Amino acid sequence: MALTTGIINDKERAQFLVPRRAFTDRSIFEKEYEAIFNKCWLYLGHASELAEPGTFLTRTVARRPILFTRDKEGEYHALLNACPHRGALVCRERHGKGRAFMCMYHGWTFGSDGHLMTLPGSSGYPKGFKTDPQKQMAHVPRVERFGDFFFINFSRDGEDLATYLADAGDTLKLLGEHSPSGMQIVGGTQEYSIRGNWKLLAENSFDGYHAACNHSTYLEYLGNTKGALGADPLKGEAVDLKNGHAMVEYTAPWGRPIANWVPIWGEEGKKEIDAVYAELQSRVGPERAERIAKKSRNMVIFPNLVINDVMAITVRTFFPTAPDYMEIIAWALAPVEESEWRRKFRLYNFTEFLGPGGFATPDDVEAIEKCQQGYAVGGDAQYNDISKGMARDGAPSFDDEAQMRAYWVEWDRRLSEYEA
Amino acid sequence: MSTATMERTLEDSLLLRLRVEELLFTEADLLDSWKLESWLALFTEDAHYYVPPSDVDGDTATPDTALFYIMDDPVRMRERVVRLSKIGAHSEHPRSKVRHLVTNVRVERDGDIIRSRSSFIVSRAKDITHDLFVGHYLHEIVDQGGELKIRKKTCVLDMEALRPHARISIIL
Repeated sequence: MALTTGIINDKERAQFLVPRRAFTDRSIFEKEYEAIFNKCWLYLGHASELAEPGTFLTRTVARRPILFTRDKEGEYHALLNACPHRGALVCRERHGKGRAFMCMYHGWTFGSDGHLMTLPGSSGYPKGFKTDPQKQMAHVPRVERFGDFFFINFSRDGEDLATYLADAGDTLKLLGEHSPSGMQIVGGTQEYSIRGNWKLLAENSFDGYHAACNHSTYLEYLGNTKGALGADPLKGEAVDLKNGHAMVEYTAPWGRPIANWVPIWGEEGKKEIDAVYAELQSRVGPERAERIAKKSRNMVIFPNLVINDVMAITVRTFFPTAPDYMEIIAWALAPVEESEWRRKFRLYNFTEFLGPGGFATPDDVEAIEKCQQGYAVGGDAQYNDISKGMARDGAPSFDDEAQMRAYWVEWDRRLSEYEA
Repeated sequence: MSTATMERTLEDSLLLRLRVEELLFTEADLLDSWKLESWLALFTEDAHYYVPPSDVDGDTATPDTALFYIMDDPVRMRERVVRLSKIGAHSEHPRSKVRHLVTNVRVERDGDIIRSRSSFIVSRAKDITHDLFVGHYLHEIVDQGGELKIRKKTCVLDMEALRPHARISIIL
């Protein structure tokens, strides 16, 4: 059947086709902001980024500048970072310590919770002006926390975060369970862009099919590096986590700091990894421990949060500023108590594959940008094919495309609902 | 200090700077002409190549505790060159046109190490994209029997983010 957005989802013929205008059409891009970015729960940040009361950070979420603060009582606030007076950005620093934020234009000064503390020349304003709700920094309509992950929602109405996350919540919990003492964002942020439609990155982030061709040089590099690979085969399945969220979960031959040893880490390393695994088993039970330690996961939380728990853990979010351009921000997540060498290996692992300077991500970027360029052919070449595995009996394989179909069905549902 | 000593000191530092500049300009030339094996030969066997992200102090940060863009040890430097020689390195196939400008070279001795600080602009052009990387290099150089070799190269980006670049698929 053809969906409102023009997606063809024909189960009988095992065919799932996405029209290429989904990546190029300016009016679709604008509808996406209304129907998706203004309605869905969007990732804001991790609790470890504001570890101390009285700290703050600024970040752009789906084009909007946000000031994320923690007040002296330890409460978190997500504020729209614009002065109620004339609209200038109030906080212009990336992060820091401070409980008062002065707008550099006229000197209006706000507390960590956004309330107007002082304004110069207040005699020029009527009584009660300072406490007028319109003169305070506005809060993002909704902010909620799931474990240590903070999400915001620009809409006042709609389901709560836990309901929205559906089965993706359990995978977020799984990440928290890597450590008995909590997880933290490691310092250092990768910030880049891709000249391609944002949904291409969502697809690419859990595409198990492209590795053999697109990342051949990375796989050869692993093969060249003595002891970098264990015995586990690349094998697993795609899992629909509902509400458009999905993941691929699989065994892989690479080393995982929690807790899959590879020969390059040596005998000393084996002892430490064994101890990490034993602690994990006693804390969460053997079944969950095995899943955490031995399986890799690439998860996309609709619409724009990627958590890849692979040879390291990356948290990556992105948003479009045009149909053919997106901004990306990526972090490394790690256990707080991690030993020096495991942290070093984790970051070594991360940079090996992931990010603008890795041995794999640049080729993903090339693929995404070449797709975008290819769409210009127009004419009869109107559809992308996302059908792989539709005709398969049983669970979809990790290198099928069921996870992307789950994403696209939700994308279609959100846009269709908005149009109705 | 006598005038003669001052002149000798000045002569020494000028000569050292010229030797280091010769090395840096050779390095730039090899990278511009994609002679990556020869580029690798400018480094010691225990060399490292780093590109820190924009939100840490790139002059002092270490890749063991902060997430970098690139933290290559000798093995990975070699593998980077091997990878870039393959057509499977899609991001650099066909190869970009690359131009390294190196300037404002300052050199000082620190025991057996020669530390060089210089400014760079690296231009990368490929099909529809043309990006500039701007920053400063920190080179740690050692004198191996009269030949200068690079032991560590850190490329500190004086940029707020890698936008719109998306990748550091060339060697900076």
